[in-house]
Amino acid sequence: MTRFAWLQARTQSLAVGALLAALAITTAITGVQLAHLYHSLVVPCQTGCDLAQNDFLSHDAFLQDALVLLMRLAPGVIGIFWGAPLVTRELESGTFRLAWTQSVSRTRWVLTKLAVVGLTSVAVSGLLSLMVTWWFRAIDLVNLNQYGTFDMRDIAPIGYGAFAFAIGALLGAVIRRTLPAMAATLGAFVFARVAVTLWVRPNLLVPRHLSSSLGGAEQFGFMSRNGGTPELIAKGSAGPNSWTLSTHFVTSSGHVASASELKAFVHQYCPQIGPPPGGPPPGKSVVAPGIPEAFQNCRAAAGRTYHLVVTYIPAGRYWTLQWLELGVFLALAALALAGCFWWVTRRTN
Amino acid sequence: MNASVEAVGLGKRYGKRWALKDCTLTIPSGRVVGLVGPNGAGKTTLMHLAVGLLAPSAGEITVLGDRPGSDPAVLERLGFLAQDSPTYARLTVRQHLQMGEWLNPRWDAEFAAGRIDALGLDPSQRAGTLSGGQRAQLALTLAVAKRPELLVLDEPVASLDPLARREFLQTLMEVVAVQGVSVVLSSHLIADLERVCDYVVVLVTGRVVLTGDVDELLASHHRITGPRRDPASLPSSQQVIEASHAERQSSFVVRTSEPILDPVWTVTPLTLDDLVLAYMRRDRDAVASTTTGLAVAR
Amino acid sequence: MIEFHLDPTSGVATYQQLVQQVHQALQLGLLEPGDRLPTAQQVVSSLAINPNTVLKAYRDLEREGLVRAKPGLGTFVVGRLPRTDPVEQARFRRSMAAWLRSARGAGLSIDEIEAIYRTAIRDCLGEGVA
Repeated sequence: MTRFAWLQARTQSLAVGALLAALAITTAITGVQLAHLYHSLVVPCQTGCDLAQNDFLSHDAFLQDALVLLMRLAPGVIGIFWGAPLVTRELESGTFRLAWTQSVSRTRWVLTKLAVVGLTSVAVSGLLSLMVTWWFRAIDLVNLNQYGTFDMRDIAPIGYGAFAFAIGALLGAVIRRTLPAMAATLGAFVFARVAVTLWVRPNLLVPRHLSSSLGGAEQFGFMSRNGGTPELIAKGSAGPNSWTLSTHFVTSSGHVASASELKAFVHQYCPQIGPPPGGPPPGKSVVAPGIPEAFQNCRAAAGRTYHLVVTYIPAGRYWTLQWLELGVFLALAALALAGCFWWVTRRTN
Repeated sequence: MNASVEAVGLGKRYGKRWALKDCTLTIPSGRVVGLVGPNGAGKTTLMHLAVGLLAPSAGEITVLGDRPGSDPAVLERLGFLAQDSPTYARLTVRQHLQMGEWLNPRWDAEFAAGRIDALGLDPSQRAGTLSGGQRAQLALTLAVAKRPELLVLDEPVASLDPLARREFLQTLMEVVAVQGVSVVLSSHLIADLERVCDYVVVLVTGRVVLTGDVDELLASHHRITGPRRDPASLPSSQQVIEASHAERQSSFVVRTSEPILDPVWTVTPLTLDDLVLAYMRRDRDAVASTTTGLAVAR
Repeated sequence: MIEFHLDPTSGVATYQQLVQQVHQALQLGLLEPGDRLPTAQQVVSSLAINPNTVLKAYRDLEREGLVRAKPGLGTFVVGRLPRTDPVEQARFRRSMAAWLRSARGAGLSIDEIEAIYRTAIRDCLGEGVA
């Protein structure tokens, strides 16, 4: 059965293998060039490095975008084209009536197919991530934003590929028609990724807190929602390569300022600050134009009342978080695979 | 002689509809059994129950002495050809044979290769590009080469042209002659089955209305024609299956084990076709009268 | 070796047709003692009929003493059909030709002649009636 499952999956696997090989050659050549560039442009720079860095980052822009796009799409594509049709194609074309009357049990049939194509999916995801992570290593050293590219590097994409395949296989077995199954797989996969990114990943580790004065903030300014009174906003940082979850204004007594309190502060202490005529687009942070002195006065006043508390995940916890994210998606994949297995072997219809 | 298929009160339900209901039959082994019935009669359902693709909703079925399911030991002894001969369109003929070899412990590779050769099929041709008749022959080869004890074929010739149909049946009969497999094949055309079957099971709307050895059935049923008469006036040894009356003439299909000696009757032979149709019509009329009976009672 | 054919519209059972064809072949001298009949496999592979039908026909022929099955070797013709003297056959053929000439001379059509022939066969010889 293993040989037959591989025979069925052979053409598409070889095609993807060829694409990966082409990608490997491309990234190998350009990646080595990038490394040279890094060592000649960025490393020797002593002062005024912003220019050198920007120059470096602007190289191979097309390939950068392409690889980002590839990492975004690849797991979904695996789910749709390898996961969903796995069982569905046989159900739709009637070949399951041929397959299930050979001398193999249905259990063995479904387990083998899931294993062969599933492991291939995992391997493809892993190789892809390996190549992309390696290619970007110089750029990542310059950008120092590892949590920003979290889902396109290292081991997390392996989890995405496994999950996309598994949910595709399950939905395919349940829905029994290829096109609807593919659509449902895409939807379920996107939903899961968004949900984990927004709601699960920030809560996987216990964050740390850092207090700093207003002066050390990366950004400080005013934001007006829906054209009303602006409130103070700031974004703090806990160092390069760390992940800022939130920044709060805190009084010296430890009280966390609410939005209305921040609005009241601006109203009281920074009367010249207001929404520009015509109103700013809601939700955008505005650096009040044309009143630099008033801005500085306001900032000084705010600095006397508030300091910032940054909630963050430190740089050093990156790999722990990668393993946790991989774990989450592998667990989801396992559930989906179990569901698929149960559906195919128990429901005889 | 053992039974190849035995069903007791077998039923299969889809939602509220019973595709097969109260089906009780015993199919003897070593025969070529024809499963006849109009579309929707439950032939495919019965076959899928026999090969383990479906599970019964009621009653039970044993095939070759075992409960059908996905147990490899049972599947090994069965060969199944589903309707429209499903094959993997993107795999070649040779790859299909490889599949047979990998997935069946009793696979006879020499026979399979010999068959493909005799059929003139190109082993490197993809199954999707074969004609309907060629696909049916490929599927038959796959089913037979696993050396089953029972072959179950679901409307194998329904979509084939007359030449392909004849060639398929020739191949099948050759296999029966040489290997002695039991065969159950279904069709909604009795003409297809007349040549090859020696046992027949007739299904109508999910119920069995007639089973028996073909020679025996043909020997015990006659059409008698004579002056107009009430069917009740016939002797009790002659069971009336069907009666039709013209102004001065009556014609009956009767079942009897005794010779018809009354000279007033002209006795004409029945074909299997006539016989099966008579039983189907009788069943349809019986169902109609029970429904009207219910309506009246209410 | 004899080649069987099947007439599905004749109303005669398949196995009986096979028996009759063997009888005819014996009559015409196409089969002689020592000849081997085709195996069941050969017959069904060309006619697409049930092998049991062939075996039944051969059993009937064996009961009539015309053939014998030798296990592993096949079924062989062992007997002859009683044949009438060719001189006698020629005499009846001449009287039939005379009758036909007078029937045509009386104005009977070919169809009428055939109908008379069939009725006579049925009434006088009593074969082929249920």
